[in-house]
Formats: sequence, C-alpha cells, structure tokens
Amino acid sequence: MAKEMIAMLLAGGQGSRLYALTQKLAKPAVPFGGKYRIIDFPLSNCVNSGIDTVGILTQYQPMVLNEYIGNGQPWDLDRLYGGVHVLPPYQQASGSDWYKGTANAIYQNIPFIERYNPQYVIILSGDQICKQDYSDFLRFHKEKNAEFSVAVMEVPWEEASRFGLMVADENDKITEFQEKPKNPKSNLASMGIYIFNWDILRKYLVEDEADPNSENDFGNNIIPNLLRDGRNMYAYHFDGYWKDVGTISSLWEANMEVLDPENSGINIFDENWKIYSRNSGMTGHKLGADAVVENSMITDGCRVHGSIRHSILFAGVKVEAGARVEDAVVMGGTVIKAGAVVEHCIIAENVVIGENAVVGAMPTEGQKGVATVGSGVVIGAGAKIGPDAMINKNVEGGEERW
Amino acid sequence: MVNSNADALGIIFPNSYDSLVPELVSERLMASIPFAGRYRMVDFILSSMVNCGIDNVSIIVRKNYHSLMDHLGSGREWDLTRKNGGLNIVPPFAEKNIKIYNGRVEALASIIPFLQDQKEKYVVMADANIAANFDFRALIDAHVASGADVTIAYTEDVLPEAEKEEDLSRDFFYTLKLDGTRVEKIYVNLKEDGPQNFSMNIYVIDRELLINQIHTAFVRGYVYFERDILAPRLDRFNVQAFKYEGYAARITNMRSYFEENMKLLDDQNLDALFEGNPIYTKIRDDNPTRYINGSKGTNILVADGCVIEGEVENSILFRGVKVKKGAKVKNCILMQDTEIGENANVEYVITDKNATISAGKEIKGTDTFQVFVAKYQTV
Repeated sequence: MAKEMIAMLLAGGQGSRLYALTQKLAKPAVPFGGKYRIIDFPLSNCVNSGIDTVGILTQYQPMVLNEYIGNGQPWDLDRLYGGVHVLPPYQQASGSDWYKGTANAIYQNIPFIERYNPQYVIILSGDQICKQDYSDFLRFHKEKNAEFSVAVMEVPWEEASRFGLMVADENDKITEFQEKPKNPKSNLASMGIYIFNWDILRKYLVEDEADPNSENDFGNNIIPNLLRDGRNMYAYHFDGYWKDVGTISSLWEANMEVLDPENSGINIFDENWKIYSRNSGMTGHKLGADAVVENSMITDGCRVHGSIRHSILFAGVKVEAGARVEDAVVMGGTVIKAGAVVEHCIIAENVVIGENAVVGAMPTEGQKGVATVGSGVVIGAGAKIGPDAMINKNVEGGEERW
Repeated sequence: MVNSNADALGIIFPNSYDSLVPELVSERLMASIPFAGRYRMVDFILSSMVNCGIDNVSIIVRKNYHSLMDHLGSGREWDLTRKNGGLNIVPPFAEKNIKIYNGRVEALASIIPFLQDQKEKYVVMADANIAANFDFRALIDAHVASGADVTIAYTEDVLPEAEKEEDLSRDFFYTLKLDGTRVEKIYVNLKEDGPQNFSMNIYVIDRELLINQIHTAFVRGYVYFERDILAPRLDRFNVQAFKYEGYAARITNMRSYFEENMKLLDDQNLDALFEGNPIYTKIRDDNPTRYINGSKGTNILVADGCVIEGEVENSILFRGVKVKKGAKVKNCILMQDTEIGENANVEYVITDKNATISAGKEIKGTDTFQVFVAKYQTV
C-alpha cells in the first residue's frame, strides 16, 4: 500500500561549531531542553502530524544516535509497515560512497523510498528546534498544486544576507533563489524543510547524480535546477518558533528560551503537541532542605542541595551544598561539587565539576562567552574555566583555562 | 542454550491487603496505589522479578483491576512483551457459579492448567503491598542450596502500636517462629511486643509441589495458602526462612502509607530503595518540572511534569502536579495531576489523582491523621 507522504530526516551533520559537544555524537543527538535530544523535535513533529514512516540519514558518529532511536518505540514509530529506519551509507555492488551531499544522501536511498511508493516526500533537518505541523505544510503544497514547496521564515532584513532566501510573488510562487546574497531581494529565509512530489524529486536526484560538477546539495544544486526548468515552486510561510542550534551560543539561547515559554514562543509543555523522548527511568528529583531553585527546570533523578537560578538540569544531575548554578545548561549525570560556581555555560553529560571550581562567568559589556565543557570531563577542585573556554579534556585542580 | 534467566516463573497477587487502605483502593487495587513520586506499588516487585531474570510473570487479579491493566499495558516498560512468557494478567472467570477468589489457594487453583504447561522448575509468589528492590536470585539460590520445599522471605520488625488496632479479619499477616532457618511455627495475626519475624509473603516453591498442594487444598475447600497448607504441615515440609535485610516499605494502613512515602525524603532511604537495579514504571512523556514565579521548594521529592509557583515543603509530588502562585504545601502527598489553587494552604493532606484544591482554600490534617481528597474530587 502506498503512503501519502514519508519523511527523510537529514541527521548526518557533524556540528563542528558545537565542537566540545559533538566530539562523540552527531549534532541531532545533542541533548536539549532538560530531557530531549534535538532529533526528538522533528521526530515528534512527524508523529504528531500523522507521518508514520521516517528515514534517518546518518553519517557522522552515529553510535549514540542509533542506540537512541532504537526501534522507534518512544516516538510510537515502531510500525509493522513504515516506522523509523536509520539509514547509514552502505556498500553496493558498484562500490561504496559516503553521502557526498544532502541530495546524494537521498539519492542513495531511492530504493528505501520506493518501498513505500509515496506521493510526497518531506525532507527534514535534524539540527533545528521547531514545533511544526507538517500536515498543514502538505495541505498548502496540495492547494498550490506545487511540485516543490519550501518552508520559509521572515527574518529581519538586516540579517537576511546570512540565509538562503526565496524570492516569491504575491501568490507565494518562487521566482528566484539567493544563497547568502550581499544584496537580498527578499527576507524569506529557507528553513531547509521541503516537500517534493516524489516523481519530481526522483527525476532531479537522478539528473543531479549524473552531473559530475554537482555538489549534490539541495540548496546549491537541486533547487536552482528546479528554478531553471520553471517548476511549480511555492514558499510556505511559517511563523512559529524556529531555531538553528548550530552554534554554542544559539544552543544556549534556545535552552534559555525553553525556560520562558510565555515570551519565547517555544512551549514544550503543550499537551496537544507533545515532544517525545527516550526516558531516563530515574526516580523523581529531590530538593534538599538547603536547596534554592528559581525560574528553572529540573528533571527526574536530580539531587539538589545548592542554589539553581534560571538554569536547566537534565536527568540525574547532582548539585552539592553551597554550589551555585546560574544561567546554565547542565546535561545528564553531571555532578557539581560543593562550593562550585557554574554560570552562563553549557556543561555536557557526565561531567564532574570539582569543589570550589569556577566555570564560566556572567556576561559583561566586553564578553558574552558561553563556557562549554564536553562530556565526561573532570574539572579539578578549585580550577577556573573562563567564559570563552571550550574544554574537552580533564582540567587539574587549581588550573586555569581561558 | 545460554540461560541468563532464573529457572522460575513469577506470580503476583495484586489485591492482597486491599481492605487495609479502603480510601486508596476505592477505584483501584493495592498493586496500582501510587508510591514514591512516580511509581505504583506493583512496579517494585515486578521490576525486581525482571531484574533477576524472571520473565514469565502472571498477575492474578481479583477486582478493581482496571487501573492496573491501564498501568501495565502490554508490559513493555518492564521488558515483558515476550513471545515466550512475558506478562500474563489473569482476570477471574465471570461465571455464575464461580465466586471471586478470597485466598491464594482459590486464586492459584484458577491457573492450575497454566502452571502445568510451564517449564520453569520453581515458582516465586509475592504480594504488592511491599515496595522493595528485592533480590529474587538470592532467594532462589538460598532455596536451592537448602533443599527446602518452600522458602519464605521475612523481615525482622516491631509491629507498630497502631496496627494492633487494625481489623485483620479478612487480610491476615503472618509471623514465623524459627529454629535456625527452619520455620517451626506460623502464627496468624500475632500481636506481640518486640521484634518479630514478619513474613513478606514472598515465597519460592517447586512448581510441581505447588500444583499438587493447591489441587488437594482446593478440593478440600481450603482458602489460605499459609494458614491452611503450610502452617499445619511444618513437620512434613521443609519450610525455610530467608531474612531480607534490604530496604522495604510495607503498606499496612493509611498511616503507614503516609509515613513510608515521607521516609523517602531522607536521601539515605531514597538511595536504599532505588540504588542498584532500576525500578520501571509506565512512561508518561512529561516535560521536566518547572519552578517559576518566585516558587520555593524545600526537602521535596518531585516527579517530572510539575509546575511549581507556590511554596512546597516536606512533600512528595507525583507527575503533573500544579501548585499555583501563593499556595503553600507542607507535609503533603500530592498524586498525579493534582492542582493546588492560588493562595490555597494545605498541610498534612493526601490528594488522590486529579484532585483539585480551589483557590484560597485552607485544609489541615495532623501528622497522625491526614486529610484525604479522593480521585477527581474538588475541594
């Protein structure tokens, strides 16, 4: 039986700008918002939109991601026909290839898509925080009788030149595409989320693969080719919360916005659009008699004796007495020992911050750095980690890193 | 074949001691009583069995089992969705001439054909009124090593004064008189002072022996496994006692329910119950708990999904509890999705699932008698 629409989720990104956080895991597997990973957002969006077949294209450091996805049960994507499938590059009779680009990743999995014989394919990106109803996007695509649609966000004109921009007419029909132009003609930024009619996508993937000069990229090759041929291309306006969390500061910022759903527009507390994740299975969190917790989010398994202000603690974080945590994102299993001060920073999973150590600093006029400590790192007692530091090796007690 | 499993099947009696906590079981049974912030009582014994390699578990339900079925589902969260064995919920046959069972004998008699078909050598049986991270492997090993016919797990405890007043005419508790590790005598509802050997009602028995005994006992109209089968035959059967020295929270009445929850606010007790093997429960996919708008939390155990805007002290909050602005909560147990309205003030209150305390209301119980607000009730 044919599926109306299946999703292909690009999750191969290395996330090199997240450096210390992506040494051992792919960007989509980076923890987010207390108990989620980035990929939970597109996966939950799929399920909540009625899409029950998702191919996840992985390449870089896939181990954590593979294990996390498993059989897809936490997202209700363990299905007899369809469900979630992790699709790494593989060896074929004619040789083997890494995914050369986003388009090539889909090209190499044409047989997967054909098993479901879909009418439409939605291409998603595994490194964005966004709650979006893809069924509304599909309704738009059908109404416009489009062959290709792209979700776009209006961005401030002064920032427009950082994005891939769609120039569209009053009927939302795309007339031009500008990749990071100096003189933007539009402020409609592509979100990297596309719906294709499958026959069109297939045709252009095959054509693109045959072109030896192509970079095999959607933005640089496929979309320009569609334009060249005057295809029916439309821009779907999305005005909800959307954030590319490709950098430390944007990742930190997005986490802080989760703390303030009333104003930021990202509400993960919505019963009607739940974000699903694989559960820690830990017992409830415990605040001690000496704990102070203000404007924060705390997850199962935490033990808090210190003070927590405007921060997110992921599952199983321990904060000892006298420790101070402010404006911080502290990922699962990390221990913050007595008297340590942790401010304006991202601490990855299973880190130990020694007694009286100082990590990060509240921003001042001259510096707004978000200190970052990679997973499994041990920061010795009394060590000092400056606000611009990226730490992915142990730091001895008393040492300073800037 | 590599055998990573215990050579035992599990049987759980989820309705045992229902009569001791009538408020909590008006719409459920002992096994589905919420405990420790995000669990149900059955989670402890069921997870313990699974963690010890027992993956063929039958739960013989008697009545009010809707909430338990909802909680357990297919058994996936306990890793019990299996082709062989797995979770097996046995409801009573709804036939005119078959009464709902009273004791263990009648319950077991209803599954004799099932027991005959199984392959495991041993059967472990347990109730659901004790929350413990129980090591069934140690129990089974002790049983095999001693060559006993039956092994009973017990704890050494003092019977609390309050319990001497309880009406135990329907649900019995058993104390053991020991000669070394051999059980010499089983007393029913013995109300003595000082430390006693209280049976945990956790048993290991050879499957064939259990089938034989239940068969004979059922024909003779016996009801209780301990009183009617074991107690009169202690000279014939080698019944051994196995002392459990780990952490155990035993629910015997509303007061112990409150106290056993509150004890978990002590980190040492919390660690003792949860350290080691994981305790599994139904997943709800709640978001992390939020503390906002000048909230204050001191000495509290809180599950995911709560939004806390008021002041909460010495309390246990289950999943999805909302404490509104200006509200004060002290020494309370608030079960799933309870809502405490703005400026309400509650002390020594137990709210059942989905209870609502209206804005501005003041409700106070005492440390010996807590006010109970029933499921879906609004005060």
